[in-house]
Amino acid sequence: MIDIRNVSKLYGPKPAVQDLSLQVSAGELFAFLGPNGAGKTTTIKLLCGLLFPTSGSVRVGGFDLRTHGDEARALISYVPDQPFLYEKLTGREFLQFTADLYAMPPEKSAEKIEEVTKLFHLDEFIDDLTERYSHGMRQRTVFAAALVHDPKLLIADEPTVGLDPKSIRELKTLLRKLADSGTTVFLSTHTLDIAQELADRIGIIDRGRLLGCGTMEDLRRQASMDGNLEELFLAITKEAAAEATV
Amino acid sequence: MGIELPPVADQGRVFRQLRLRLIRNSLRLALENGRTRLFTMIGTSLFVAGFTFAVGLYLFNQLAINNIPFKGAIVEALFDLLFFTLGTMLVFSTGIILFASLFTSPETRFLLCSPARADHIFVTKFQAAVAFSSWGFVILGIPIFLAFGMVSGVPWYFYALLPLFLLGYVLLPGSFSAALCLLLVRFLPRNRRQFFLVIGIVVAALSAVWLYKVGVGLRKSFATSGRELDDLIGQFNLLRSSVAPSHWMTRGVMAAARDDLSGALLPLAQIWSNGLLMFVIAAWIAKRVYRTAYDQYTTSGRSRKVYHTNWLDRVMEMLVVYLDKRTRVLVVKDFRTFRRDPTQWALLILFGLLMLIGASNFRQYSAADLAVMDKYAISLMNLCGTAILLCAGLSRFIFPLISLEGRKFWILGLTPVSRDQLLWGKFFFAATGSLVIAETLILTSDALLGLPWQGLALHALVVAVVAVGLSALNVGLGAYLPTFRETDPSKIVVGFGGTVNMVVGLGFLIAVIGIMAVPFHTLHLARKAGGGANPWVFAGLPLGLAIGALAVILPLRAGARSLRQMEF
Repeated sequence: MIDIRNVSKLYGPKPAVQDLSLQVSAGELFAFLGPNGAGKTTTIKLLCGLLFPTSGSVRVGGFDLRTHGDEARALISYVPDQPFLYEKLTGREFLQFTADLYAMPPEKSAEKIEEVTKLFHLDEFIDDLTERYSHGMRQRTVFAAALVHDPKLLIADEPTVGLDPKSIRELKTLLRKLADSGTTVFLSTHTLDIAQELADRIGIIDRGRLLGCGTMEDLRRQASMDGNLEELFLAITKEAAAEATV
Repeated sequence: MGIELPPVADQGRVFRQLRLRLIRNSLRLALENGRTRLFTMIGTSLFVAGFTFAVGLYLFNQLAINNIPFKGAIVEALFDLLFFTLGTMLVFSTGIILFASLFTSPETRFLLCSPARADHIFVTKFQAAVAFSSWGFVILGIPIFLAFGMVSGVPWYFYALLPLFLLGYVLLPGSFSAALCLLLVRFLPRNRRQFFLVIGIVVAALSAVWLYKVGVGLRKSFATSGRELDDLIGQFNLLRSSVAPSHWMTRGVMAAARDDLSGALLPLAQIWSNGLLMFVIAAWIAKRVYRTAYDQYTTSGRSRKVYHTNWLDRVMEMLVVYLDKRTRVLVVKDFRTFRRDPTQWALLILFGLLMLIGASNFRQYSAADLAVMDKYAISLMNLCGTAILLCAGLSRFIFPLISLEGRKFWILGLTPVSRDQLLWGKFFFAATGSLVIAETLILTSDALLGLPWQGLALHALVVAVVAVGLSALNVGLGAYLPTFRETDPSKIVVGFGGTVNMVVGLGFLIAVIGIMAVPFHTLHLARKAGGGANPWVFAGLPLGLAIGALAVILPLRAGARSLRQMEF
């Protein structure tokens, strides 16, 4: 589903992503980890077609984001860390707008809106203007909108920020269920226990370079240690930092 | 490829529905919760339109009194200049608003990650930008031409065609500006600073040459008591050429005024067809370059700049040395934010320079014994110009300060500084800055004009009252009518609170200048005509000072009360 080949992205002279290659297959839940400023969000923006690589190519569902971006984006849903909603629309109107944008037939969109409303417990406020929503309510509405059109690829940047523990638990179950049903989930997070619990594979990025990628076992082999993800993450990034200073 | 793609939506329809829903919900909300706000907005717009109509009526009547033909070359030249000026303003205002909404708004980030096509996103943003930038054009344009029609006597269809002319004319500069904005962002060289410096120097040089020629033409026409206008009119040939859209407008409007319907319809068709063509070209450019332009803008990697304290900060701190340490820190913080944003102070410098150039030109005319100008009349104009400059500048820079603090107010809220102190800090920042700028401008220009010391002292006092009063109005009303959801200061200024503030500010300065300065100038103008001296011209000073005191106390008190009750 995701095919990133030798991608580098410069911000002026400064590299944000360097020679990144990564493949994620359909139905896989992939967690992308890295310290602040490591290149996670830039990679996500490249995946959504918001930015274009300085070199290399990014493909989603076989469509190159540079030449067939509209087709690729029709397969994608993106949940950013800072959710955007039209303040003067109700939650329901926002979901309807999203469904219309993805050309869903009216009956199917009505059915899906009902479904995601129940799934994310939006019933109580779905017909209020979104300007009155709290951060958690906004996050749930954005997630509902992201899933209303059955995307093939769900990209989520820090999806648990602002959610209460119950919502986080439900979200984790949902993400796993989505991946099991064939949707590719690309998750960028700082919450290592979520990555360890949910992800099929984990990628660790720092200073724009992919330092490690694979299952927990693969990462343990790479770090030559037998710890949890937090220990592995710290070991791999520390080693890379030491190499960079040499 | 193997993956089944969803069908493609009729995105034009989807975005139309979105806009309709947004407008409908906003209107419903305004009628339910903010009826006073809505009616005040309509009321202030009508007030501005009415005021423009009255001024237009007066000026067109002056033309009638001086036997200047309404449908002749002079009025045509004036309309050319008017349309050209309004068109140029539309180019800049649409371009600035569109740039912000296409490249920096969270909505476009959201839409660019969706399957929305680049040209549809562009069109949505374009319509909003044009509506935003042109309401002033329509509100000012319609009353001027209504006044023209009433005084000069025009057929009924002049009034019917007027909105069509104005709406059509909005499209062309707006689309041109949009296309230019996209191309500039996409293809601008990395070293933007040098690029804009070169462009700025070229434009400044061309403007200087043109202004010099206008000055020469003006001098010649004054010297011949208006008999030789050819040189002056010649400088405006570009605006009168058959390829200038502003001239199509003039031709059409004048033809309608002369009861020549076919002569009016042809330019109207020309305006609409060219406007629509330019819009299609802009949308096509957007389809081709918008996404790459966004990428270019976001990642062009402006080199990291290290900011230090500046000697100007120390000067500012010295200017407010009479305040306590905490308030001084707040004042310097506001000043630092102000000086680091060149768009904030560039306009002030531009207006100031224009005024000083005008005053120094007058000095040359005086030296040449050109009696047609009177230094008392010019100095009054300078006083009004300075006051309007202050009103516009403070509305633009000071009024949004509290609103812009909105989302990060908790930082200040947690510091050991009272909210009253925050307000006073902003007031002293505004008052000190505006006093220094306005007094420098008015005293320099009056000195250049050779005004006697009584005039200088009076102007210094009037400007002080206006500067302090307007500062308090802007800070007070800014706290009383904040817009915390908006992050773009230009949108805060044209919102409800900004409009009320602007109208109140204009009313205040008209009252103060009218009461304190106009009698003095009227006396001196009458003296030229043989009138005598009269000490009563200063009788309005206490009343003006009292109005100034009220303008400080009332808004600051209301603003402080409102700020104390706010929850962040």
